[in-house]
Amino acid sequence: MKFLIVEDEESLRKSIAQYLAAEGNICDWASTYDQAYQKISIYNYDCILLDLTLPDGDGILLLKYLKKLNKSDGVLVISARNSLNQKIEGLSLGADDYLIKPFHLSELYARIMAIVRRRNYNGNNIVTYNELEIDTSNKEVKVNERLVYLTKKEFDLLLYFVSNKNKVISKSAAVEHIWGDDADMADSLDFIYTHIKNVRKKLTEAGCKEYFQSVYGVGYKFTDR
Amino acid sequence: MKLFTSYNRILASITLTGLLAIGILFYQTLGQYINREIEDHLYEELLEVKDFAHVKNILPSPEGFDGVILEYKKLQKIANKREVFADTNFYNPKKKHQESGRYLKTQVLLNGKPYEVKIIASKFESQEQIKSIVLIILLPVLILLMFLWLVNRILIRKTWLPFKQLLHNIKTFNINKDEAFKPIETKTEEFKELNDAMMEVTLKIKSDYEEIKLFTENASHEMMTPLAVINSKLDTLLQSNSLQKADSEILEDLYLATSKLTKLNQSLLLLVKIDNNQLQSKEHINLEKLIKDKIVYFQEFIQERKLQLTVELDKAVVYANRSLIEILINNLFSNAIRHNFDGGKIDIRLHGNSLHFSNSSVQPELDPNKIFERFYKDNTSDGTGLGLAILKQVCLRQNYNLLYTYQKGLHTFCITH
Repeated sequence: MKFLIVEDEESLRKSIAQYLAAEGNICDWASTYDQAYQKISIYNYDCILLDLTLPDGDGILLLKYLKKLNKSDGVLVISARNSLNQKIEGLSLGADDYLIKPFHLSELYARIMAIVRRRNYNGNNIVTYNELEIDTSNKEVKVNERLVYLTKKEFDLLLYFVSNKNKVISKSAAVEHIWGDDADMADSLDFIYTHIKNVRKKLTEAGCKEYFQSVYGVGYKFTDR
Repeated sequence: MKLFTSYNRILASITLTGLLAIGILFYQTLGQYINREIEDHLYEELLEVKDFAHVKNILPSPEGFDGVILEYKKLQKIANKREVFADTNFYNPKKKHQESGRYLKTQVLLNGKPYEVKIIASKFESQEQIKSIVLIILLPVLILLMFLWLVNRILIRKTWLPFKQLLHNIKTFNINKDEAFKPIETKTEEFKELNDAMMEVTLKIKSDYEEIKLFTENASHEMMTPLAVINSKLDTLLQSNSLQKADSEILEDLYLATSKLTKLNQSLLLLVKIDNNQLQSKEHINLEKLIKDKIVYFQEFIQERKLQLTVELDKAVVYANRSLIEILINNLFSNAIRHNFDGGKIDIRLHGNSLHFSNSSVQPELDPNKIFERFYKDNTSDGTGLGLAILKQVCLRQNYNLLYTYQKGLHTFCITH
């Protein structure tokens, strides 16, 4: 897949690019409004990561420009401002999602994958991983065609890991994905362990291979390697 | 005590004491004057009694001599010729009742025999006279004083009206509300000055407050991008294949600290947002359903800690901003779970217009005056120290009453509207 990262903070841009490129994606970048404007005009992307505060212009204008061009690029807005108005404005101008800084790269990637899925498969959103099949629109999980019942949180967690396959996801990132802003409970990190254990158990009971790997207690990885 | 109550009290006590003193003095003087008159009359009567005895050779009858009463007592010899005057009570045979009077007592020779003679004259009429005179003089003075006091009262009330208005405006001035301090209209120089001073002070307070809020907002926003960089670098580092156990422990701590810093920043921004009244759109919210949803949302935390949850929910709908109410319920839940101990209790009661959240805790009773302050927390707490401050702020914004109580090991937050 091909992505465009519009972000003026170089080190953040680099990290994102590195994370995305490791999965075989192609990452293009722009650090200013002008650069982004030119690249959007010329190329097509599967998804554009757009920071709204750029040194030489407002990212919202880029959204308007994209709409004018009538392009089908997915757009994920990244903003340091948790502003409802900005979010509504961005989404109404054609952005697919809105992510507030700071975020985990795994969260970013999961959101990108969701956008790409929505754009490419027109509602038929099936994610497969070997014998595992996840229907994201019906919230169903099948192992070898057999339905596995997962709670909503377990489903979200599995999809999150599958979207970030072969990546290590920190416990903090997983907790924040499931509980969002309320993830500040004293021992919420331990719950992730319980959750993953449950998902793991349900999947292996249905005949799924063991894909979850613990990484020294700091995080988990979903992989068949 | 009000300024004019105390002023009036002093004035009234001086006036009344003065009036009383003058009254007493007046009465005494008048009484003495009347006494002297009666004494002259009694003396004349004594002379007449002597004349009568001399001419008629008998003593005048004890009753009915010239309107005075006479008493005789035979003596062996005259010891003391001095005349004694004094007040007495006597029986008036004409009026047939006791009466106050004045008498003259002396020892005289009547028809060559020594007698002690006592002549008593009634004081009744002269006393009535004194009473009338005192009344005639004092009553108008009293009426005048009362009238003056009334006029004074009305005038003062009128003069202080702008002051009262000003006080009311100061009381209703709220730094969190958007409207500015309302000045008053007055022609009184002192009040005008006070008004102007208040205007200046409130304007300064408002602008300072805005500045602080803006600073907090900007500082927090500026921190978000560096935090995003740290987070992304940590995530990148985590992908490294050469990660050792010791590294991952450091990474975990870094993750924790970063997430705490992020949370702190978000809470500060949230506080500013609530302060700025940025969450205004209102809707009808089914509280009962919202709380039930949140129980599901937090169920893992509740189960993991084996907390006993007692829930009594009546139907309740509030008209408020959804984000604010969700923040409120979220904070109540996380507070009740976070500070609980394993196997502890959480009671949630929603009745009528009040919502109670009680939880057991390892902590003793908290200071109800301090718990809602920003960053008030005990050292063992992992939280940001802003949760309850946000709770308070939401309640302020929604005009809800928030009360903390502690009873039998249960910490209770009660919200009423």
